[in-house]
Amino acid sequence: MCEANVYINREGREEILMEKVDRIIPGEDNNIFLESIFGERKIVQARIREMELVHHRVVLEEVKQEIITPDKEIWLEPETDHGHFHEGEEVRLKVFQGYNMRAEGKPACPELKAFAVVDGEARQIDIAEKEDCGEINLGSEVDGLVQVYVRESGKIDNYAKIVVEVGHHHHRGLQAIGLPLEIIPCDYSHARMGESYEVQVLKEGKPLPGVLVRATFAGTHNRDYPHKLNTNDEGKVKIFLTARGNYLFSVNDGEIRSTYTLMKSF
Amino acid sequence: MCKDMPPLELAIQFHGHICPGLLMGVRVAEFAQEYLGVGRDYDEELVAIVETDSCAVDAIQAILGCTFGKGNLIFKDYGKSVFTIGSREKSKAVRFSQNIDALAKPQFKRFRELNQKTSLSSDEVAEKENLVGELFEKIMTASFEELFKWREVPYEIPAKARIHKTIPCALCGEGVMETRVIISERGKLCPSCQAEIGGELNV
Repeated sequence: MCEANVYINREGREEILMEKVDRIIPGEDNNIFLESIFGERKIVQARIREMELVHHRVVLEEVKQEIITPDKEIWLEPETDHGHFHEGEEVRLKVFQGYNMRAEGKPACPELKAFAVVDGEARQIDIAEKEDCGEINLGSEVDGLVQVYVRESGKIDNYAKIVVEVGHHHHRGLQAIGLPLEIIPCDYSHARMGESYEVQVLKEGKPLPGVLVRATFAGTHNRDYPHKLNTNDEGKVKIFLTARGNYLFSVNDGEIRSTYTLMKSF
Repeated sequence: MCKDMPPLELAIQFHGHICPGLLMGVRVAEFAQEYLGVGRDYDEELVAIVETDSCAVDAIQAILGCTFGKGNLIFKDYGKSVFTIGSREKSKAVRFSQNIDALAKPQFKRFRELNQKTSLSSDEVAEKENLVGELFEKIMTASFEELFKWREVPYEIPAKARIHKTIPCALCGEGVMETRVIISERGKLCPSCQAEIGGELNV
């Protein structure tokens, strides 16, 4: 007999998690895979605390998913699930407040300022107050890429940015718009599910290495951001897009929080 | 539609959801297209012989256009993840056999376990979502050889599907393909009427 019973310590209390375990495989992000001789399997978020091999006993300690919600963030979403707008179509965007693409409460629209940036030229735009969000109507934009950002000043300065494609095949490289903390797509293109997507974090226009970037997608069932990565020396992170619809990237540094919405359909 | 659907989207739209089996089929279909130098089938230029009825076959149908209805999807019920794709125009065929341990990772086992449950807790729903994401990336970024053994095989592809005459069944009156008719004492019967009266099907 070489299998063991696995116990888990939850808030100081030890309880049996699985009996007769013959496989324990630690994975990434504190995930531990367990398999018993009866074929039962589990993945738990825990770390190994103690192994008493003589007594066939392994004790795990639960690792709670850390949810950092210091303050709510703001983000932009297009009012289309088509991935882009067509020339002549009204370009409408929504401004949400919440976390992990889950809206909580309504953003304080009168205190927000919104701007549209085309070819480096910024113009201020209005935000209309709707029942559960703010709404921006850019009107009919011409073919091309428009960058829109919203700023909320306060104890923490919040920024939300989106790149809106009007028409098709606008794959040209995008310039940063000069936010104090900004996420920019490294190679703007029609990003799709099943592809890798890279973004760069800039602080005052310079790459910011070693900062945590969170990424999520519309409709995720995770309570917290499902992707968390630290930027490399060039301030870049790359994720593999595994879900349909829009993605949101978020970064905090000091008293600034900045989000970037990747608009896509598939 | 503003742009052509990428192969992956074609497969997901057709199959209805995303799962490891479907993604394995996407890899096979894309590899076959590249190796054979072909696009999507229009009128039986391609033939797929599949030895399983798993999710992967839906990707082959959606991406390659080898479908049951066109007659260029031939199903051999061997329970093996083996797929042979041939091009009539190129007189070339390639056979794929899924590596036995390609889906043997703990995450796959756990995914199957969750997939078989009739109801999931909210934590399990999130866990399944994360597992799909993890497996998605693994399958789509793995080298092809990690997933499949493949080799070119002699081109022995069946002839194009034939359309046969339809005749009425002597019992139910419904139309039946002439080649599937069973001649009995009660006349020319369709297989279902023959089965109902307890006769041998011989089909």
